[in-house]
Amino acid sequence: MSISRRNLLLGGAALAAVAALGGTLLLGGNEALASVENGAAAPAFSVQDANGQTRTLAEFRGRTVVLEWTNDGCPYVRKHYDAGNMQSLQREATADGVVWLQVISSAPGQQGHLDAAGARARVQTDSAAPSATLLDPSGVMGRAYGARTTPHMYIIDAQGVLRYQGAIDDRPSARPASLEGATNYVRAALADLAAGRAVQTAQTTPYGCSVKYA
Amino acid sequence: MIRTVFLALAAFFAFASPAFAQLPGQPLNAQHTLHSARAAVAPGETFTIILRQQINEGWHTYWRNPGDSGEPTQLTWQSPNGWQAGEIQWPTPEAIPFATLVNFGYEGEILYPIELTAPANARVGDAANFTVEIYALVCADICIPETSIATLSVPIAAQGRDDPQWAPRIAEAVAALPRREQGVDARITAGDPARISVTLPNASAIRNVRFFPFSADVLVASEPQNPRVGAAGASFELRGGIAPDIGQTPVQGVVAYEIEQGGAWVHRGVEIEAQPGEPLADTDAAPAPMSSDYPLAELEGAAAPSSAAPMDVTAVLLAMGLAFLGGLILNIMPCVLPVLSVKALQFAGGGHASETRKHGFFYFAGVMATFLALAGALIALRGAGEAVGWGFQLQAPWVTSALALLFFAIGLNLLGVFEIGGSLQNAGGELTQRGGSAGAFFTGALAVIAATPCTAPFMAGAIGVAITQSALITLLIFTALALGFALPLTLLHFAPALQRLIPKPGVWMDRAKQVLAFPMFAAAAWLAWVLAEQAGSSGVLSLLLVASALGLVLLTLRWGRVWLIVGVAILAITGALTWRPLVGVETQSVLEAEAWSDARVTELQGEGRGVFVNFTAAWCISCKANELGALSSERVARAFVDNNVAYLKGDWTNRDDAIAGALARYGRAGVPLYLYFPPEGGEPVILPQVLTDSIIIDTISGAQQ
Repeated sequence: MSISRRNLLLGGAALAAVAALGGTLLLGGNEALASVENGAAAPAFSVQDANGQTRTLAEFRGRTVVLEWTNDGCPYVRKHYDAGNMQSLQREATADGVVWLQVISSAPGQQGHLDAAGARARVQTDSAAPSATLLDPSGVMGRAYGARTTPHMYIIDAQGVLRYQGAIDDRPSARPASLEGATNYVRAALADLAAGRAVQTAQTTPYGCSVKYA
Repeated sequence: MIRTVFLALAAFFAFASPAFAQLPGQPLNAQHTLHSARAAVAPGETFTIILRQQINEGWHTYWRNPGDSGEPTQLTWQSPNGWQAGEIQWPTPEAIPFATLVNFGYEGEILYPIELTAPANARVGDAANFTVEIYALVCADICIPETSIATLSVPIAAQGRDDPQWAPRIAEAVAALPRREQGVDARITAGDPARISVTLPNASAIRNVRFFPFSADVLVASEPQNPRVGAAGASFELRGGIAPDIGQTPVQGVVAYEIEQGGAWVHRGVEIEAQPGEPLADTDAAPAPMSSDYPLAELEGAAAPSSAAPMDVTAVLLAMGLAFLGGLILNIMPCVLPVLSVKALQFAGGGHASETRKHGFFYFAGVMATFLALAGALIALRGAGEAVGWGFQLQAPWVTSALALLFFAIGLNLLGVFEIGGSLQNAGGELTQRGGSAGAFFTGALAVIAATPCTAPFMAGAIGVAITQSALITLLIFTALALGFALPLTLLHFAPALQRLIPKPGVWMDRAKQVLAFPMFAAAAWLAWVLAEQAGSSGVLSLLLVASALGLVLLTLRWGRVWLIVGVAILAITGALTWRPLVGVETQSVLEAEAWSDARVTELQGEGRGVFVNFTAAWCISCKANELGALSSERVARAFVDNNVAYLKGDWTNRDDAIAGALARYGRAGVPLYLYFPPEGGEPVILPQVLTDSIIIDTISGAQQ
C-alpha cells in the first residue's frame, strides 16, 4: 500500500500543478464590456430608479423599452438636451406607449454621477420626460449591455428582444449645429417596431463621451 | 453669427500677432498654432504648413476614427480667394485606454501637416492671410469641446524660400506620417473573428503593434486584437465590428508600432489597404511583443511579458535543461508511473539481452515520435492563432473524455478485469504484444499520451518558454523533454545490472499491478472533474455512463462472441445517447427559468399570463432527459414566447419543504412534476412525466384559446 500512497501524494502535487496552469490559462482575461446581439434576449437588470423603486426589465414585458445612457456633464448629451432634441424624442416615444429609461452608469466621483435627488432635479431642469431614470453607479447594468458612450441607445421590443443598439443619430459630433438635418436612428427604429417591420438600421457605432465606469 | 465675429476679430489680430488667437474665457486644454515650412511662397506653389496642437498633460484629442468615444479635430478654413487648403494629414495615432474603453488619439504636442496651394495668379509682394477655426474635443476623464482660432500669414515672392526654423521640423513631421509603403501588403480574411495580416519588412524589430482602422464600423476599439508577429509581418483580429461585410471588402487603416531608432523607441505607422483574401504567410508565428509600459498590455493579455526578446544560447540551454529534468520527473507522475511500472516488471523474468535492447530502442523511438508529434501539433495550432499551452489537448471535451476512458480501461486491465491476448504486460493493448518491437514503440507512445494531463515540476516553466518562442526552439525544448522522459526506461533496457535489481516474479507482481490500477482511476476521476468544468454535470454523467458500458464490454470480452456483440451494442447505444456533451456540443437551455414559488405563480397569473412549472432535481434522470430534450427545443421556447407563458423552475436537488409541499398537493412524492397554470386561473394541468415538444406546445397553446 505504500506505493499507492506515494502515488496519491504525487498525484495531488501533479493535480495542483495542472490546476494552477489551467487557472493561469483561463484567467488573465480582462474585465471587458459584454456585448449583446440584436435579436437576442436583452440582458435582465434590476436597479434602483431615482424614486427609490427597483426596476427590472421583466416588468416591462409587453412594451417597447428604450434605454438611454446619459451623463449630464457630457457635451454630447448636452447637445441633445440643450437643443430640446432628446426631450422631444422622449415625449413622442412615451406618448406612443414606449417605456423610456435613462441610465446613469457614472461611478461616484465621476462626471455625470447623480444620486436619486440629483437625478430627479436634473430631469426637472432639463424638463426631460423619461419614464424613469435608472441609477447604475456600480456599472453592472452598463457593462451587461456593453454601453460605451453617452448617449448610447438600446431598443428592446415587447418580447424582451434587443432590436436596436448604437448611436442616437448619424451626426457623431458635440456641435449643436450638427443636429440640423440629422437622421435620428432611434425615431426610425421605433417607427419600424410600431409598424411591425424589421428595424432597418439596427446597429450603428455609438458616439459620445465614454461612460464613466468605476 | 458669433463665429463670423470671431473670425473677423481673429483676422484683425492676425496682423498684430502672426499666428495665434484664442477665445476669451476659460483657459484651453489644447493650444493651436499654424506654421509654414516656407518663409515665402511663389505663385502656383504647393507647400506644407502644420497645425501645431499642444495638449495639456493628462488630456488628449482624437484621430480621424476616435475609437470607442470622442470626435476628431476639425478645421474650418477661411482662405484668400483661389488658395486651396488640403485635409489634415493624420500622424500615427496612439491607443488611449480609459477604464474599459479605448480611444484613438494623441497626447502632448502633435504636428498635423496640411498642404496649401497658392493660385498661379497670386500677386508677388502681397501676403496671403489664413484663418482657421479649430474644433477639438479635448478629453481627460471628462471631455470639453474647444473652439479656437489660429491664423497664418504667408508672403508671396517670385522665388519661394524655406523657413529656417520650421522647414526641418515640418519635413520631419511629414516623413513620420503613416503612408502606403513599398513591400507592405495586407489582407483581410473573413472569419470569426476576421483577421488582418500585413507584411512588414521590420516585423522582427517592432513592439506594441496595433491596427487602427479608418472606419469605426470594422472593429470595437476596446476589443483585444491579439496581435501576432512572424518573420514576414504581423496580424490582428477584428472583433465587435458592425459593418455587414467584414472580410469581403477592403479595409483601410494604419498599423502602428514602436521601433528602435538611435537607441530610443519611436512610435511609427504604415497605412494599409487590406484586400480580401487568404492570410499572408509568416505573419503570426508568436504573440507580438509588448513593452511593460504599453497601455494596452493588459487588454491584449500580454501573458508572457516581452516574450519575443529572442533567447540567447544559454537561455535556450537552460530551458532545455529544465525540460529534461521535467521529463525525468514526469516518469513518476501518477498518470505515467503505472504504465511504466508494468513495463518495468517485464524485466523481472529476465530475457535475451539483444532482444531487450531492441525493445529499448523502439520504446525510445515511440516516446520521441509522440512528443515531437505533440510539439508539431502545438506549433501548428499556434500558427493558426490559437492560444495554446501545455495541456491544450485537454481543452477539448472529447479529448478529456477519451483520456479518462483510456485511464479507466488501463485501470481495469491492471485489476485483471480483462486481458488482451495472453496478458497486457505492456499495458499498451494489442499492439504492444505484436512482435515486441512495435509493441515497445506503442508502449512509448501510450506513456506519452498518458503523461499529457500531468505537468511535472520544471516542465511548466520550460513549456512556458517553448510556446512563446520560435518553432525551432519549441522543437528543441520538446526534444529535451522527450529525452528526459524516455531515459529511465530506455536505460533499464540497456543495463542488465539494473534489470537484476527487480525481484523474481511472484505474487508481489500481481499485487503491485492491482494497486497501480488505483492511481489510474484517480487520474480518470480528475479528468471527469475537468470535464465537469467543460461540459457541466451532464458531461460527467455521459462520461460515467459510457465508462460503465465500456467496463461491461471489457469484462465480457473473453466470454465469447455473443457477449461481445451484446456489450458493443450497449456501448453503442450509450454512446449514441450521450455523445453530445462529450464532444462539446452545447445543449443550452433556450428557456430562461425563474425560481418557483407559490406567490410568484399567483402573481404571474394575476398579470394574465400562463405559468409552466417544472419541479426538477439534478439527480433526477428523467427530469434531465426532459430538460435536455423537449424543454430545450427551440419550437417549445418559441411557443412560450408566443403564448406569453412564464417558465418557473422548482429545484429539489436539495431539501426544500415548500417544494415537497407542492409535490404532495398534486399527489406526488418526487420529481419530475410538470404543471401548467392557465392564464385565466383555476386548477393547473398536470403534464405527463415524459415530455415531448407537442405535449408542451399543445398544453400551453390549447389552454390559451
